[in-house]
Amino acid sequence: MPRETFQQELDGLISDLLQLGGEVKASLENTVRAMEGRDAGAAERELGIDLRFKAQGMEIERECMILQARQAPVARDLRLLYTVQSVTNHLVRSGTLTEHICQAIAETADCERDEDLETALVEMARTARNVFDEGLDVFEDRDIERARDLQAKDDKVDLLYSEAMNLIANASDGGGGDPEWRMRAALIVHYLERISDHGVDIGGSTVFLVTGERIDDAMQQYLNRDMGEA
Amino acid sequence: MEVEGLNMYYGSFKALSDVSIKIAENKVTALIGPSGCGKSTFIRSLNRMHEIVPGARVEGIVTLDGEDIYTRDVDPVRVRRRVGMVFQKPNPFPTMSIYDNVIAGLKLGRRRKKSELDGVVEKTLKQAALWDEVKNKLNDSGTSLSGGQQQRLCIARTLAMEPEVILMDEPASSLDPVSTQKIEDTMDQLKEDYTVVIVTHNMQQAARISDYTGFFFIEDMGEPGRLWEFDETEKMFSNPERKETEDYVTGRFG
Repeated sequence: MPRETFQQELDGLISDLLQLGGEVKASLENTVRAMEGRDAGAAERELGIDLRFKAQGMEIERECMILQARQAPVARDLRLLYTVQSVTNHLVRSGTLTEHICQAIAETADCERDEDLETALVEMARTARNVFDEGLDVFEDRDIERARDLQAKDDKVDLLYSEAMNLIANASDGGGGDPEWRMRAALIVHYLERISDHGVDIGGSTVFLVTGERIDDAMQQYLNRDMGEA
Repeated sequence: MEVEGLNMYYGSFKALSDVSIKIAENKVTALIGPSGCGKSTFIRSLNRMHEIVPGARVEGIVTLDGEDIYTRDVDPVRVRRRVGMVFQKPNPFPTMSIYDNVIAGLKLGRRRKKSELDGVVEKTLKQAALWDEVKNKLNDSGTSLSGGQQQRLCIARTLAMEPEVILMDEPASSLDPVSTQKIEDTMDQLKEDYTVVIVTHNMQQAARISDYTGFFFIEDMGEPGRLWEFDETEKMFSNPERKETEDYVTGRFG
């Protein structure tokens, strides 16, 4: 097949992207475990990792730009470069949010906590992690069938968001934990919701990569197809 | 122009099979595809230029403004007047001046006044983006110009006949990048007044200049060429329908 060098460069680019994805995923997993085990030390170990994600992201974007300048990509190659840039952005941002969560956990280690709220946070963290991991899997396997399930899973995250916010706003009598912790909990809830959204968007970018359709249009087609079968 | 069910033969060899296409007015249509897939053969059928090849014949319908250009009473010379052609290699008449090259076709027709011819020369050389470079040396030989200038001279010569459609068979493939860019800019201007069909091997050129793109493809050696996919250029270069088109435009073909 012609353009072997170009193909190798594209393969290298995807491998760099998956490397970054794997590292962000690991950091998010560590964060969820730190939340589950109230492990401030584990959270602290994640601090600073964001800089590495950003450097990797910039390198991938640089590679994309050089390939565009030198190879004049069109059609599926063009869609791939576009998608790689978009997914890179989602990964780097998810990495940053993960670090923000760890910072909040580390800095509130000594605060008194509300048990119901903490349980809700942990459940939300697990669900958001699942959506993120699955978005990454969809991209890695180009499995666009699964991309449409992501939205439903993200709806669960949104539901947990409302529940957690409700607990923060309406603390139980005599409970609720330190105000400092409740404030940081509100931020964590927000960060988790964003991470889950990035996971959904990575799936959506994959739909564009494979079909050339914008995610909303493609989703609509899938949904209509199901209705047609019913 | 509209083509319906066009088959084309060189003797017993079938070069093109069942090509149907609507060529949009005042747009640039690019035809791309691997060598030997029938692109040049196809555009030659649009002004009956293939008839100069012995044994070449066509089946199907080609209409220009609704009129079939292949009916018996249509004069092929008149068709070629209305559908002009620019070739791959610049081919100015070597013994003629720049001025005479432009009006070479007109001289074959009725007599015209000098002032009228002067007007045509200036207008068409301006349309071909060559006027400023040659206005002070119109009596120099056409072959004294650079390759890119010669090609623009040939475009002016074609325009002087006031065609409705201009066919270009790889007009920039033997030119340097600056000349190529000038030809491309010219085409953008030309579509305001003319319908342009261009055959090109330069995919980025097709992507840059055309509104519509047709991909010609030949499935196997010895098979006739077919119009494999035809769509808006944007679509053809971002998300073509057929795998062969995608393989070709991304350079994965072969």
